[in-house]
Amino acid sequence: MVAIQILLIAGIGFLLIWFFKSPSSSKMRAWKKIFGVLFTIVAVGLVLFPQSANDAAHAVGVGRGADLLLYLLTLAFIFGTLNQYVKSKQDEQRIVELGRQITLLEARLPQAKRSSSKQ
Amino acid sequence: MRDTGEAIIKRTAVIIPAYNEGKIIRRTITQLEPYFKNIIFINDGSSDNTRQQALQTNAKVLSHPINLGQGAALRTGFDYALLNPQYEYFVTFDADGQHDPKDAVKMVNYLISHKLDVVLGSRFLGQAANLGTSKKMLLKAAVKFTNYTSRLKLTDAHNGLRVFNRKAAELLDLTMPDMTHASQINHRIKEHNLSYAELPVTITYTEYSKAKGQSALNSVNILFDILLNKATKKW
Repeated sequence: MVAIQILLIAGIGFLLIWFFKSPSSSKMRAWKKIFGVLFTIVAVGLVLFPQSANDAAHAVGVGRGADLLLYLLTLAFIFGTLNQYVKSKQDEQRIVELGRQITLLEARLPQAKRSSSKQ
Repeated sequence: MRDTGEAIIKRTAVIIPAYNEGKIIRRTITQLEPYFKNIIFINDGSSDNTRQQALQTNAKVLSHPINLGQGAALRTGFDYALLNPQYEYFVTFDADGQHDPKDAVKMVNYLISHKLDVVLGSRFLGQAANLGTSKKMLLKAAVKFTNYTSRLKLTDAHNGLRVFNRKAAELLDLTMPDMTHASQINHRIKEHNLSYAELPVTITYTEYSKAKGQSALNSVNILFDILLNKATKKW
């Protein structure tokens, strides 16, 4: 097993566990921001020192810096997608709860009249 | 102390969630009215004339401001019904005319006489008129899967005709707004060790209800939802 394979699988595993175990909290949000800043620093560094990508790649058993970047980009993409999905599910829960509370409030008002007549 | 039929009816609420069933809902409710007096109807943000049709009956009509899902509609129905301390028994009943009111009566009486928490209708114990073979196979597979995830041994895991006593109704806590709620109900039964039984019921599949039925593909969504929620411990 080449180093990069271990790193990538560990990375994917870590992402999955992280998403499915921890609820959104300010701690999580802080870590995501830290991650974002680090990512930006690395990205700028790679632009300024393109050879470093190749060096890093060789260090983990990948042929080219561009390939390493591609692998990392894939991980980042998975991260982004999962993040979106979890957030969207959370939003859905909140909308449903809001909708139901409106319904119940309305039901308990005598002769509740609906201002927006949506059938 | 034996309850008289009338006393039971006074303490029973029927909960009917519906989305775009304008064509049939009035008939469904009026066919129930000879048997039940407290009908709570939840219009789940229908875009057709469902609400108008329901208002023509004696049911109490609740309306979701937007479509939220059958699970959410059921939960709203239960929340509302539980507000009335008079109600001891709760029946969930489908809006599309597939269920027989007499089965509901039978199930309520059975719940009371056998002192159960939950009674579930099963179409595989009784008559499933006009059920297509592919749908039947899919349902049986769904039953196996639901039994596995809820660890309950049922013959029909997705039947909308169910009866609960107040204790069971209060424990339901349906957090899945969509069709996954059916599996969640079964899970709750196991989770809280509720006493239950399945009774044979007749499901009438008409051209109307078959056209509106859940698509086989939706099972993929349900499967995914259940597994995801189990993984995140929200089940």
